[in-house]
Amino acid sequence: MDKKQQCVVLMVEDDPGDQKLMRYALAAHEIPNNLQIMDNAEEALAYLDASINGDEGKPRPDLILLDLNMPGMGGKDFLKEIKSNKQFCDIPVVIVSTSDAPGDIEDGYRLHAAGYVQKRLNPKELRRVIEKLANYWFVTSCLVKDRESMVCDSV
Amino acid sequence: MDNFKAATILLVEDDLGDQKLIKTSLEQGKIANKILIANSGDQALEYLEKSKTGTNGFPFPDLILLDLNMPGMGGKEFLRIAKEDPDLSIIPIVVLTTSDAERDVLESFQLQASGYIKKAVSLEGFQEIMSHIQDYWFVICRRVEHAQESCTPAAGALG
Repeated sequence: MDKKQQCVVLMVEDDPGDQKLMRYALAAHEIPNNLQIMDNAEEALAYLDASINGDEGKPRPDLILLDLNMPGMGGKDFLKEIKSNKQFCDIPVVIVSTSDAPGDIEDGYRLHAAGYVQKRLNPKELRRVIEKLANYWFVTSCLVKDRESMVCDSV
Repeated sequence: MDNFKAATILLVEDDLGDQKLIKTSLEQGKIANKILIANSGDQALEYLEKSKTGTNGFPFPDLILLDLNMPGMGGKEFLRIAKEDPDLSIIPIVVLTTSDAERDVLESFQLQASGYIKKAVSLEGFQEIMSHIQDYWFVICRRVEHAQESCTPAAGALG
């Protein structure tokens, strides 16, 4: 894996306060990341469509951080949509939610979330959580790169 | 708030040397893990069939670490079967392999792997990887609680 490669993170979160906290926490990590913030699921879907059409300012995300409770399309419906779309189903989606309801956790994993993190409102704690998340996804795991060169004859 | 409850990890790996390195690294972490080892995809599925029905001594895994290249059923085939099974699809499966071929990375994520990690070449490397895996899956991630926490796990290798 190329540890210096910049990761594109798409955050789908409607709360401006949470957006800000998460942005600071991600900026503190040693691996530089390109964070794209979407206020709702509809906006995120439009971003994803633009990203496959080669829009330069909208790089394809390597990872999606998804809130569950949002006005309009909720996080679970967004997840269902992404995972049933061949263009996007390989992008790992991590749920970041205040909910710790067992039903939400189970639904999340059943819909192929690649993790379910409970949101922390204390900035220090949140930074610790995001550091571990970033270590796993940006440092330890390989992410899909150069997808375009393989996509025509892939599975 | 942190979730330090003991977790059950199923390692699907045919190489005895790697089994030992991974097990040692996991046991040195701060989380008390029960580590079960299957030597092949077929053996892992056999185990999971028993744990699905709540058979005593076959605890449901919280996480599966999966090698790709194994004799018999390969890792990708195992991944496909596990993710299509409604009872098993909730278990996160992390690919742990020597291959860093782009095609393997893409196909694993298309099959809904929850991470793709290239094996380290030293014990220290494995320790770092396992510490990041444990921090992510067992410290910050919530997981689905299973009803049979108290039963005695099958120790060590499965077969």
